[in-house]
Amino acid sequence: MSIRRTSPFILSALTLVVCFFSGREFLAMRAADEIRPGPGLTAARRLSDYFPPLKGTPGDTPVYVFQGPAAGGSVLVVGGTHPNEPAGTIAAVVLAENIRTAKGKVLIIPWANASGFTHSDPQEASPQRYEISTPGGRRSFRLGARVTNPVHQWPDPTIYVNPGGQKLAGIESRNLNRAYPGKPDGSLTERVAFAIMALIKAEGVVLGIDLHESAPEYPVINAIVFHENGADLAATAQMSLQAEGYDFRLEASPPNLRGLSHREWGDAAGIMAVLLETANASHGRLKGRPSAALVVDGQDKFYEKAAKLGRLFVPFGPAGIPLDERVARHLAGVSALLEALAEIAPAKAVSVENIPAAPAVLTQGLGAFLRPPD
Amino acid sequence: MSEPLVLLVMVGAFAGLTLRFKLPLGVALALAAAAGALAGGQGLALRHLVEGAFGFFDIILILASAMIFMKVLEESGTLDALAAAILRTFRRSRTGLLLTLMLLMMFPGMITGSSLAAALSTGPIVAPVLLKLGLPRARTAAFVALGAVLGMIAPPVNILVMIMGAGVDMPYVGLTLPLLIISVPVAVFTALWIGRGRMRIPPLDELKTLLPGASPSFKLYLPLLLVPALMILENIHPRGLPGLGLPVIFLAGSLVGAVCGRRFNILKATQRAVEQAMPILSILAGVGMFIQVMTLTGARGWTVLAFLSLPPALLFAGLAVGLPLFGGISAFGSASVLGVPFLLALVNRNALITAAALSALAGLGDLVPPAAMAARFSAQVSGEESLAPVLRACAGPALALLAWSLVVLLASPILERIL
Repeated sequence: MSIRRTSPFILSALTLVVCFFSGREFLAMRAADEIRPGPGLTAARRLSDYFPPLKGTPGDTPVYVFQGPAAGGSVLVVGGTHPNEPAGTIAAVVLAENIRTAKGKVLIIPWANASGFTHSDPQEASPQRYEISTPGGRRSFRLGARVTNPVHQWPDPTIYVNPGGQKLAGIESRNLNRAYPGKPDGSLTERVAFAIMALIKAEGVVLGIDLHESAPEYPVINAIVFHENGADLAATAQMSLQAEGYDFRLEASPPNLRGLSHREWGDAAGIMAVLLETANASHGRLKGRPSAALVVDGQDKFYEKAAKLGRLFVPFGPAGIPLDERVARHLAGVSALLEALAEIAPAKAVSVENIPAAPAVLTQGLGAFLRPPD
Repeated sequence: MSEPLVLLVMVGAFAGLTLRFKLPLGVALALAAAAGALAGGQGLALRHLVEGAFGFFDIILILASAMIFMKVLEESGTLDALAAAILRTFRRSRTGLLLTLMLLMMFPGMITGSSLAAALSTGPIVAPVLLKLGLPRARTAAFVALGAVLGMIAPPVNILVMIMGAGVDMPYVGLTLPLLIISVPVAVFTALWIGRGRMRIPPLDELKTLLPGASPSFKLYLPLLLVPALMILENIHPRGLPGLGLPVIFLAGSLVGAVCGRRFNILKATQRAVEQAMPILSILAGVGMFIQVMTLTGARGWTVLAFLSLPPALLFAGLAVGLPLFGGISAFGSASVLGVPFLLALVNRNALITAAALSALAGLGDLVPPAAMAARFSAQVSGEESLAPVLRACAGPALALLAWSLVVLLASPILERIL
């Protein structure tokens, strides 16, 4: 047989081999991460409990409830809105595995955009997983993409007009933090946003905290972004954080930037809404080789050089900004916001015990506050 | 191997495979990406090659469906009929004809933010008109390509700005005027410059011999009305219309076109269209792999930092070269990878004017090899087989757009006060 006649068969066979081996890697992302909530857990629910049409879809995700014996307010902590911002997810997991509530209620969603955790962003070359050492072994976590998996929501419109009326590039139709307040009959991402809004209303949430990360070259970083409903709360929390040695900027939520949690949670549900940002080198545009080590250790020679050139909005030295430090910042931020809530609205206070203290996370390492794997 | 060396290996492999071994561009890009992964110590990086190739999956579908649409218009006789109608209407005013054709060329880009949508939807309408008036194929292709790029930059929809805006949380508001300032003067210049002295509108008697005899029926124009109508409806009334996406819109236009004009075999036409599109589709897949491996090996980060390391005096030169050059791989990629850091580096200037100017520079990338998507497709719709003469014909207006964008950027403090 001539090469001309055999080459289609050879190419087809080669394609099948490529599909098999790469497909295996892609499908591995669908295996959900493990979480071992601590004894403070009072109920394990699903987001679909608040919006039943979400049940059985890739957007459904666990909601962990920590109800205290005494009456108080309700606080929502959301991680994993952007699955490529691991400090938000891990901070939520650490809280779920450690806290007990003495007064009021805490609701935790560690993987808000569950679909986004099942794939990685093309052309970002991110690792699919990273590991954290615990005293009992290594825990593995998925590093997903910023947006919903196109396998679950496709095609993107040319221009996305979000529920708030903001015109955005088509890909943003899969960005959970542009989809609030969501739509009950909208896209998967909009339905997830709608379900979170339904939870906020059903649970009488008074304070919503959305945990994020941003690239070191991005101006809104190491910041508390606040809705005007939560201006006093954010300012009070910032003062106590600064007293602890944490430099947090205050950024008011722009009223014309629609679809974001810190805008729509406040506007649509009237709650105090804040978003916390830490600095993550692994999803910036200046990063060197992406790797699990970059995610966890946060060291990058290009960012170090960019800092010397004055191109960054955070200090970035040879030690980088490790995940321990980023999660510690988030935990300190959550603690400060809870304290500020108690000060500003005592009747709505939520008293939480056993939040790992930021200095302890820094000295003992993050793994000391995660339960060991089986 | 260090990041710049990896980049050198990738570029060297690409150049060697295309120039020495004459491999198709798409294949050469894929092999250069694989070479980069090996040189960067990442092994064959199969997952990354596949993932990168899917980075432009949506654009690949748009191109394939638009090529089918274009072939249907050609086979059904719609293109000939429309060219005739335009020539009859504007035969008394060459300037009016050129400016109308430029606006027609820009229109799909203005509503979709994509130069490809423009080159592929109104390109096949405008090109035959210009060719019938005696404009050489290369210049016709340049007219189509530049119109498509200017349409992508012009308001109301500029996806390049939206991409940069998403990177800095800048709402897409207040951009109409800055984008008009950048696009309109260059569009007028381009239309008149390309058509100047080289076109001849024949007298009516002679024109009749060039045009189809019988008056076409209205239904021949239905696919041409349907496609822009769906594009507009999707954008102005997104909540009333489900997100169809450009591939479905083009395929709907193709189906309507297949029953509205001359009879032809739609399956064979589709086959020919996909066959013609295949080299360009493979370039896009290859470009996706190339960018993914650049990121994987750190070469992307090194490239971005190299531009940002330029002293302030050279920063403008860096962005004038870097944005179009990276845009030669992908204009949208350039806006995301380089546009956002440049926008942040110029944070002390008016963000709206800066983003508008940077979007024009990134958009120019659609005329820059290796991908040169707008230029390639314009060459195809104009029947020009070689890319080089098209790029030469584009050079003047493209340089004018580059210079004008820089002027706007430098004058942004003054413009800010005026606007």
